[in-house]
Amino acid sequence: MSRDGWMKKRATASEDNGWAERGGYMAAKVSKLDEQFKLDMPREKLKAGASSSIFSGVAIYVNGYTDPSADELRRLMMLHGGQFHVYYSRSKTTHIIANNLPNSKIKELKGEKVIKPQWITDSVQAGRLLPYLQYQLYSKQKGLLYPGMTLRQNSEIAGPSHGCLPKLHLPQRDVQPLHREPSSSSCQNKSVPFSTQPQSNQHSSAEPSVKPQPNHSASSHLIIDGTHRNSSQSHPLSAQTHTKHPLKSSQEVDFQMNGLPQTSLESTILLKTGVIKECSKESGCYDKASQAVKEATLTNGHSLNINGALKLEDWFPGEQQSSTDRDLLESRVSVSSDQPLSPPLENHTESDPYEFPHSPPKESKRSPVHKSPHGTETVNGQSNLSPSTHYEAEENGESHFIPEPLHQSELISDKTGPTPSSLRLNGSHHGVSSDLSSLTMNHKTSKPSSLTDKSSSSKTPTQLLEQTGDLISEYYSHSRLHQISTWRSGFSEYVNELHSKRKVASSDVFLGRDKLRKSKAQRLNKSQGTSASGCVKSCILHVDMDCFFVSVGIRNRPDLKGKPVAVTSNRGQVRVPVRHGANPQLELQMYQQKYSHPQQDDELHRSPSQESQEPHSNKVDHDASALSMAEIASCSYEARQAGVKNGMFFGKAKQLCPSLHAVPYDFEAYKEVALSMYEILAGYTHDIEALSCDEVLIDGSALLAEVGASPADLAKAIREDIEEKTGCCASVGMGSNILLARLATRKAKPNGQFFLKSEEVDDFIRDLPVTSLPGVGPVMGRKLAAIGVRSCGDLQQVCLSQLQKKFGPRTGQTLFRFCRGLDDRPVRYEKERKSVSAEMNYNIRFTKVDEVECFLTNLSTEVQKRLQEAGLCGRRVTLKLMVRKPGAPLEPAKYGGHGACDNLAKTVMLAQSTDSGQTIANAVIKLFHAMKVQVENLRGVGIQVQLLEGHQSTSPHCKGFQGRSIKDMFARPGTRVRSSTKETADWNQKRVSSAVAPPVGATSTSPSPVDVSVPGTSKQLSSCRKTPEHSRKCLNFSIEVPSPSQVDRSVLEALPAELREQVEQSWTNRDGRTSNCHSANQNPCPASPPRSPVTSIPVMYTPPLGTLVLQLPNEPDSPGIVLELPNFSQVDPDVFAALPKELQEELKSAYSHVTNIQPQIKTLELKNPLLQLKQPGAGVGMARVKRRYKRKNVVSPEKKGASPLKRRPTTNSPNKTLQPPLKPRGPVNSLKNENDPSTSASNTATPEPVVKAIPRPSPALAGAFELSDIKPLLREWVTTITDPMEEDILQVVKYCTELIEDKDLEKLDLIMKYMKRLMQQSLESVWSMAFDFILDNVQVVLQQSYGSTLKIS
Amino acid sequence: MTTLTRQDINFGQVVADILCEFLEVAIHLILYVREVYPSGIFQKRKKYNVPVQMSCHPELNQYIQDTLHCVKPLIEKNDAEKVVVVIMDKEHHPVERFVFEISQPPLLSIRESKGPLGGSDILLSHVEQLLRAFILKISVCDAILNNNPPGCSFTVLVHTRDVATRNMEKVQVIKDFPWIVADEQEVNMQEPKLIPLKTMTSDILKLWRAVILDRI
Repeated sequence: MSRDGWMKKRATASEDNGWAERGGYMAAKVSKLDEQFKLDMPREKLKAGASSSIFSGVAIYVNGYTDPSADELRRLMMLHGGQFHVYYSRSKTTHIIANNLPNSKIKELKGEKVIKPQWITDSVQAGRLLPYLQYQLYSKQKGLLYPGMTLRQNSEIAGPSHGCLPKLHLPQRDVQPLHREPSSSSCQNKSVPFSTQPQSNQHSSAEPSVKPQPNHSASSHLIIDGTHRNSSQSHPLSAQTHTKHPLKSSQEVDFQMNGLPQTSLESTILLKTGVIKECSKESGCYDKASQAVKEATLTNGHSLNINGALKLEDWFPGEQQSSTDRDLLESRVSVSSDQPLSPPLENHTESDPYEFPHSPPKESKRSPVHKSPHGTETVNGQSNLSPSTHYEAEENGESHFIPEPLHQSELISDKTGPTPSSLRLNGSHHGVSSDLSSLTMNHKTSKPSSLTDKSSSSKTPTQLLEQTGDLISEYYSHSRLHQISTWRSGFSEYVNELHSKRKVASSDVFLGRDKLRKSKAQRLNKSQGTSASGCVKSCILHVDMDCFFVSVGIRNRPDLKGKPVAVTSNRGQVRVPVRHGANPQLELQMYQQKYSHPQQDDELHRSPSQESQEPHSNKVDHDASALSMAEIASCSYEARQAGVKNGMFFGKAKQLCPSLHAVPYDFEAYKEVALSMYEILAGYTHDIEALSCDEVLIDGSALLAEVGASPADLAKAIREDIEEKTGCCASVGMGSNILLARLATRKAKPNGQFFLKSEEVDDFIRDLPVTSLPGVGPVMGRKLAAIGVRSCGDLQQVCLSQLQKKFGPRTGQTLFRFCRGLDDRPVRYEKERKSVSAEMNYNIRFTKVDEVECFLTNLSTEVQKRLQEAGLCGRRVTLKLMVRKPGAPLEPAKYGGHGACDNLAKTVMLAQSTDSGQTIANAVIKLFHAMKVQVENLRGVGIQVQLLEGHQSTSPHCKGFQGRSIKDMFARPGTRVRSSTKETADWNQKRVSSAVAPPVGATSTSPSPVDVSVPGTSKQLSSCRKTPEHSRKCLNFSIEVPSPSQVDRSVLEALPAELREQVEQSWTNRDGRTSNCHSANQNPCPASPPRSPVTSIPVMYTPPLGTLVLQLPNEPDSPGIVLELPNFSQVDPDVFAALPKELQEELKSAYSHVTNIQPQIKTLELKNPLLQLKQPGAGVGMARVKRRYKRKNVVSPEKKGASPLKRRPTTNSPNKTLQPPLKPRGPVNSLKNENDPSTSASNTATPEPVVKAIPRPSPALAGAFELSDIKPLLREWVTTITDPMEEDILQVVKYCTELIEDKDLEKLDLIMKYMKRLMQQSLESVWSMAFDFILDNVQVVLQQSYGSTLKIS
Repeated sequence: MTTLTRQDINFGQVVADILCEFLEVAIHLILYVREVYPSGIFQKRKKYNVPVQMSCHPELNQYIQDTLHCVKPLIEKNDAEKVVVVIMDKEHHPVERFVFEISQPPLLSIRESKGPLGGSDILLSHVEQLLRAFILKISVCDAILNNNPPGCSFTVLVHTRDVATRNMEKVQVIKDFPWIVADEQEVNMQEPKLIPLKTMTSDILKLWRAVILDRI
């Protein structure tokens, strides 16, 4: 029966398909059986007399022969409220009961809960549902997932020294295959120890909401993990003892480790032997443990249990020894919850994982402390918390953990009997461990133990997920370089904060600046000298600490000064044993190939950068395989002289420079020094761009201008400050742009300063190798070398188009500019993030696709976290993979490294921006499958999110403790309270400090007055923060700021006071430079009309920026001003009329003057494309003028004063206004409006004289030629006048005729229709007649020219 | 009459190409809008970024193409004054005339310094916009026109300038596709009424069109 069901299950591997195919027969049968079961139930209950409902919710399926028979089990289930399935249903069946399973079935059922029948009988006996974990038939058959990782984690924690890592790892790696073997095949055969059941799949099917991922939660894997932990726990200690003879010890360990995973019993024995004798208490515990192992039919899962307990115990004595330790740890629990990613701030000398212990004893003291948390972690980490809830939980502190240890105690109390207090401690330990791994979340969820009972285990996310999460968290928490790289954003934040604070407080104190000013003043007093280079227009300073890590590392070790020193994780050994499977030589060959291959193509010399690669690739002798592969992070100049380079492997470097001293990392000190450097610089200016922890760009322009110091003074002051306060020296390069500053820094180093003057740039840059340009790396260097370019001088010879063709438009242009010393990048204190990514290329060894998927999910979560920290959403997701190069050794020479790899990337656009890790994960997993990469060959995985959007500007407070503020980052306060108080204190302090400061205008570079007067000010202002500085520099105020007359007063008044001042200031500035006429304009003579009419002009006529045409020449006397006369049509007639008689006279004469100098004006005016746009308004105004001045009651807006002024720019010159005074007089006379000089002037030019001459002017009616202007004109005419003048009507006809001639029938049509409406609606019949007259005339003309008439309906 | 410099010949061709292309689209659209042919033979296409209707009747298409092919040299030489699409009723009396009047700027208003196509509109995007507007106007012109009587046909007339006709006779662009002088009847309408639809002016050509409909 059961067999049958099994087969069916198999046949329908893809769930329900098979069932459906059977035409519902099976379904019917199943439901019938269920019914029978229900019917039988009461009967059975009656028979038995006793019944319960312990199994409610449990549905079993019995597979194969079982000890209590299937029928008996069925009866039991009936009695006790359970369900019994004759046929297995993946969705309904919760437990599979079996005594034994063939291997194939185990594979099929992986992840299902396969439980021994004893579980049911025992449960019935106990009267309650027992946790099934102990009854699992077999534990997960999965091999150790990331043995290297877990081991590494442990050993690192135990003794975080890279020096001894390889030794530790070597044997452990060897363990791996052994782990896999039992999982695949031997597991079944040796089924005795593996007799419990895996659980996770079952529970995942029961609660699909927990995690969609296929979970192969590996309990056996965990077990091995656990034993590993044990072993590693003991291991570091032993390793320490063995450090003196590394080779031997590692072999020993190797042996032990190999033995380890076999059985739990063996492992405990091993542990006993492996564990150091000094822990006698511990060994006692182990005895207990081994007893336990013997007692129960213990499984591996169980043994883990014990191991966990052991570890509790393990810790316990230690804790008793030092209660201070506990406090310390407890405090760190809260610390850890604050900032998962940023480096821990509080430097507990004993426990900080980032500190590198120098002395073995210290280490050994620490190791138990560190080990135990990890042991307990396996026990404790049952809580399946989503990241967010997790953090909340973390905030709650330890109390959160209490239930679990208790719950655990329930399980193990009979065996080890740890006291509740110790359990509590466990909770705190757990916190500690999370601190260690920074990514607390991952740790928390990472190790659900198989001892949890059902309820808690159902909470557990898939273990695989956790495992990978763990991996990621480990990686990020232990990758120190990663930590350092995150500092940069921290410093950027810091600079941002400075700025935002300035905004808040509107003032600030610049200590350094004051100092500089003082010293400057002193010097001036002394020498009365003139500072030659006192005012430099633009000066960028590039401050770079000299071999930062080294100088920080040896600042307290004067004995090392002047000696070759390298900072590296290696602790002095040059050689390390070769690991099995690694083939460094082959790898090196591949590196060599990689670097030499392109050259073969190019058949050209190598670029310097390649040569720099040579040392570690080329001269590798046979022994080199055993050289230390620890990379040198930084080396002193003395070492560099010997040929040592940053990034070189230590072993190699030691060969080059035997006297090389290795100095360990000192992250605390780096932070300290970097922070103080930033503080110093912030004392000078806030125009800082943080490049890294030791590299800063400063825009000194404003500062120097204010203080009046020379760049050299500033650089000197900064360097002195830094040296004084940090004990490390910095080099400063100065130049007029970022590029030059950086180049100058090269020259300045070490410990110097260099100002690259703009006149020296050419010579300087010509000889530089191209690779010294930023952005030109080895690859581009080779490409350039291929076209014969090695120096910047060579590059200058290459034309832009060629560069752009070869490198793409942007890069090409950048190169083109860079090699000429041009660089327009601004110093940005606020950097926009272009992408958010998380990458990992260490210790990536997958065996299954599922693992990769889980890993990707976790990495996505990491990306999500980063996105959320940055407050961004992204659309484009890129998956980057590093895949082992075909032929590269399976194991790279560097432990856990990626070796020779091919880099692949694939990108997808999401439907919308997201910061959801799940969305990203889905996309990335799809990408991964699309890339069809062999899982085993993966060596690195990265997820990058681009096309970011969203606001970053949330205040540091909102961000809480996510590491937004640098103070948080560095101070990492021990408690929440402390942190908040600290922060507020911080703020207060800063606010106080910012109370005394120069006004904004003086220091701010951003809101330049330039933008102020432009319409849409606010927008421009907001954007001007990002205005490239160079453009700010290049802008000439006189060009950009419209003259005061062009600025709408009301607009100006609406501006904030400071801005207004700035505008006005810029005007006064300009006064100095511009001609008299301008100043005349700026200080209008009292006789001129009040400002208001003047300012009304721009409203209807806004000249484009850059024109200096005066709107209203108030003082037309000077010949200069004549040039600036606006077209007469643009003169507001009201204004003109309001002028005193004399002025009017003057104006008129000025306008007649214009005729003579017209050509210049013409060119000037031609530049004004906007001119014609607004003219119609002026035209209307003119009509009004006419009305007013004619002293006739008839207004004639329909005058055909199609003044040339209003024509296209080509004809737009006063010349035409005034030149044909005689001829046009005729029509004008007939219109009887010549009595006013102004109107006559404007009306003189009727089209006729001009029309034939130069390109056809568009016909205009009283100066209006746009329909939108003619219409109101007509309307005014019709509505205001009761008795249309004949001349006016004629004018209209004439205009229409012109339109016909102009073939602008469209407009004619519209105008005619409009007039028809207007005039026929008019009450006066005169108007109707007038229209008819016009229409007739028009139709006649049309008939003549087109042979047809307009259809006016 | 106009002397195009050597350099400008290409430019003339460009203008002619543009215009002919436009005329083709316009003719198709007119035939559709004025329902000269059943709408079934028209397909929706996209031109100038607006939907237009184009016939898929091969012979009709061929006729239009041939016609325009012959018009093109005229336009190139600035000899064509108007291209008229005449819609006639059964008796071959014109009912509507769609007049495309073409006048190129005398010197094509080329600015010496700025190259053949002028600096301002090198990509002719402005021209395209204008043509689009034109097309749109055509597609809605049935709103202001009376319905045509059934059984209409159409013809294309070209008004040439000066002696261009003679040249045309001499050089037949397409064999067996000669031009004939239009009947007086076809050309003239009684009491024509003019409805201006659209005028466009750009640097390179001036084009306006009027619908003239007969009111019998």
